[in-house]
Amino acid sequence: MSLTKSLAADGSSFTIQIKGKFDFNLVQDFRAAYADVGDNTPKVIIDLRETEYMDSSALGMLLNMQKNLGSKVSGIRIANCRPQIKKILQISRFDKKFEID
Amino acid sequence: MRILVVDDQDLNRTMLKFMLESEGYEVILAEHGQQAVDIFDEAQPDIVLLDVIMPILDGYETAPLLKEKAGDFHLPIIFITALDDQKSMLKCLEVGGDDFLAKPFDKVILTAKIRAHQRTRELSQSVTAQNEALLYHQNQTNREHQIVEHIFSNALNNNEFVKDVVKYHLSPASMFNGDLFLANRSPMGGSYILLGDFTGHGLAAAVGALPTAQTFFAMTAKGLSVGDIAKEINTQLLRLLPDDMFCAACIIELSTHGKALSIWSGGMPDILLINQKEGIKQRIPSQHMAMGILEEDEFDIGSYSFEVHPEDKIIAFTDGVIEAHDINDEMFGQERLEAIFEASPYATIENVIDNLNQFCGDIEQQDDVSMCQVNCLPINDEISGNDHEIAPLPWHFSLPVKPDEIRTTDPVSHVLDMISGIKGMSKHRSTLFLVLAELYNNAVDHGLLNLDSSIKDEEEGFFNYYIQRQDALDILANGKVDISAEYDPDNKIVSFIVKDSGKGFNNKNQDLSPQTELELPHGRGINLIKELCQSIQYTDNGSRVEVHYSVLSQAPQELHYAI
Repeated sequence: MSLTKSLAADGSSFTIQIKGKFDFNLVQDFRAAYADVGDNTPKVIIDLRETEYMDSSALGMLLNMQKNLGSKVSGIRIANCRPQIKKILQISRFDKKFEID
Repeated sequence: MRILVVDDQDLNRTMLKFMLESEGYEVILAEHGQQAVDIFDEAQPDIVLLDVIMPILDGYETAPLLKEKAGDFHLPIIFITALDDQKSMLKCLEVGGDDFLAKPFDKVILTAKIRAHQRTRELSQSVTAQNEALLYHQNQTNREHQIVEHIFSNALNNNEFVKDVVKYHLSPASMFNGDLFLANRSPMGGSYILLGDFTGHGLAAAVGALPTAQTFFAMTAKGLSVGDIAKEINTQLLRLLPDDMFCAACIIELSTHGKALSIWSGGMPDILLINQKEGIKQRIPSQHMAMGILEEDEFDIGSYSFEVHPEDKIIAFTDGVIEAHDINDEMFGQERLEAIFEASPYATIENVIDNLNQFCGDIEQQDDVSMCQVNCLPINDEISGNDHEIAPLPWHFSLPVKPDEIRTTDPVSHVLDMISGIKGMSKHRSTLFLVLAELYNNAVDHGLLNLDSSIKDEEEGFFNYYIQRQDALDILANGKVDISAEYDPDNKIVSFIVKDSGKGFNNKNQDLSPQTELELPHGRGINLIKELCQSIQYTDNGSRVEVHYSVLSQAPQELHYAI
């Protein structure tokens, strides 16, 4: 399984961790993962610490998620990016729409 | 048992020799004290029968000399004497005599006395032998400890951290520390810290440090989350340590920007989150059991996440700090520790240790004392991990990919695996993956499958597109995509050519304004390639595309993008 999700014990944050490749093959899993954010308007953390590759459809999936979740969450943070992944996010100007760490 | 008889009278010597030999003793004879001293080293007697009045060297003078020659072993000296005055007998004892044998000799008494002194002699010999053995083992143990200490200090000295961010204090109660402090940088540039405390202290407690450190460094290098690292270490310790030994620990990760903190803590005292202005903001209790107890399927990787600021710091410590005693057997305690930070939120672990030392005074330290402090500051350095030169070797390879391969394999990953295997290429792999994935997906989706990207703009568009793509791919019978990759070492350019057998597709609608680009869920691929590569060129009505990527392109960290 290259995608895991976990809701913090206090419900304040919801983490989706993606291992290896973040591409079109994850469309279904990714959409299903953020359907479970719960009712506490948590902060969503997309943890990319183990993401080696992503393609442009991953960027589209992130935007879709943001549209979809809207006010159901208190924010979305893309966390723990490796330098090359961060470069891709910066080129795509994702730092304007997401908190990137 | 050898007995030295020293007497100037021939008759006495003969009689004693006869009596002792008949009891099975070996007998050596000397005619006066000087002769006894001279033959002593060679004769190596166990007991000496010594006459008092003799020519050249009398018994009083001889006794101390023989005792000295006997060295560490107890040498029983029995004075042969006809003297019965108190003064002479006292003198015999003063010069080192152990007993008396009265003349004329009585065989029963002689034999009994010899046996008694034989026992003390043998006892002394065995004590000396035991002392020697003990000394030998002590030396051996010291030597072994030195070796182990050497290994430990090498294994545990791989810590990597930024000095302004991470500070720690360790003071073991004995040569080996049952507490453990480990630190490493993550591939993302952040900081990992592990503060651990094994059951007990000394060497027995310290042995668990080696596998813990090994696992910690391997897992932090991979950039795992704190919970996953704890799980890996737990598995190692469960396998290696005896049931009654385990490791209380907290694992902390601070992100590169110093804004995100995550903590997994098992069996440790409360960790303090302190703000320089407001004082203690939060006490973070252990949520879990120590590592090395729970089976893999029972282990909980759940961790705390915090958003932190540059004025925040984390203070973690082992129970040796709060359980340290003063002269009245009172414990230092969590309250005293917290009071230091309540009084001055700027306090550091040095201040705590100073306080603790004052509190304990001259009381000997009972347990290992360890503390660490993590200042939640951003880190601005660059990690130069795999900054290898790229081998100046031209290479070229190509893959003709047919429908079956498109359905069942991932050619882009395979191409990237091959390229990453070439020395120096691996730091470009994520970027090259994105570029090639883009070209390949376009070739398959639009060249072979004739899909329309605008489907993605609709509600649920991504999902519908995915379904349509699967359906079209399932029935695809003909066509192929040729991928070729090459490296030109003179110009330091990686080129990809992707050619599909389709009838071509329009790629002219890719020049979107930045704003539109950010809003639409599709269409950013080609613009990304334009940013990442030196050139991209479509020919053959869009069915052939060639891109050039310069491996000299600026390092990811240095990139500044102007809109």
